[in-house]
Amino acid sequence: MDPATVLDHQFVVAAYTVTWVLQLGYLTWLGLKWRSEKRNAARRTDHSR
Amino acid sequence: MKKIGIALYAMATVALMIWGFYQAIYVAPDDALQGYIFRIIYYHVPSASVAFVFFAVSLLGSVGFLANRRGHTEWAQVADAWAVAGAEVGVVFCTVVLITGPIWGRRAWGIWWTWDARLTTTLVLWLIYVSYLLLRRFAAGPQVQTLAAVLGIFGALDVPIVYMSNRWWRTQHPAPVFGGDPGSGMKDPQMLQAFGWNMLAWFAWGIFILILRFNVERKHQQYAEEEAQEALAANI
Repeated sequence: MDPATVLDHQFVVAAYTVTWVLQLGYLTWLGLKWRSEKRNAARRTDHSR
Repeated sequence: MKKIGIALYAMATVALMIWGFYQAIYVAPDDALQGYIFRIIYYHVPSASVAFVFFAVSLLGSVGFLANRRGHTEWAQVADAWAVAGAEVGVVFCTVVLITGPIWGRRAWGIWWTWDARLTTTLVLWLIYVSYLLLRRFAAGPQVQTLAAVLGIFGALDVPIVYMSNRWWRTQHPAPVFGGDPGSGMKDPQMLQAFGWNMLAWFAWGIFILILRFNVERKHQQYAEEEAQEALAANI
């Protein structure tokens, strides 16, 4: 493989990796936020009893 | 039943993502001029499309909030939840666009960034919605939702400008692949196929996280509402 093709390949890998790191990172953050909201709701229910 | 539906949708989305990736890397041919680096377009353009649509969702949510905030407060809260979900998920996709674009540009143009109309208007769009999210995160008081809705509406005005920028002005950014001059469009059916699958996959993924974000916001609103009611009852 010529060096230009290798470099192209590395740039494509970088672009795809950054995309997935951002998307999965955001999904994880959303999951944590969802869990925290559910915990707050459960704590409130316990407190009102 | 609802959980099964969500699981099926998530599985279909993951399958679409894998299929889209396979099409982009292994099926689509190299571009005649750009070669292998062209494959970034299969993530870059769908991400931009999803961001535009979600900023439109945020616009509708903001308008819905302003229209209903005095009469139908429950509808206003639902509209506000859509507005914040659209803005936040839109920012995630817009960030992808602003990172994958320069990675492509470095190889295709030899530079990471240039202040041409398409790139600059996209950066301005991202900054407006980041300021929208910061306003919601750090400001307090009863007017925050209203101020955010107004900012959301003004932010959405930049979307058609970004879309039209490389049609109205001469830009270093490539001419539109679709909806440009009469000769524009992907000619190779395998490229078109890879592009179509990735567009479908990213929209499926985007809708999944948009709905998740909407539900998180609704839960947060309910919690805040209950807390406010309790504080009110304690004062009486």
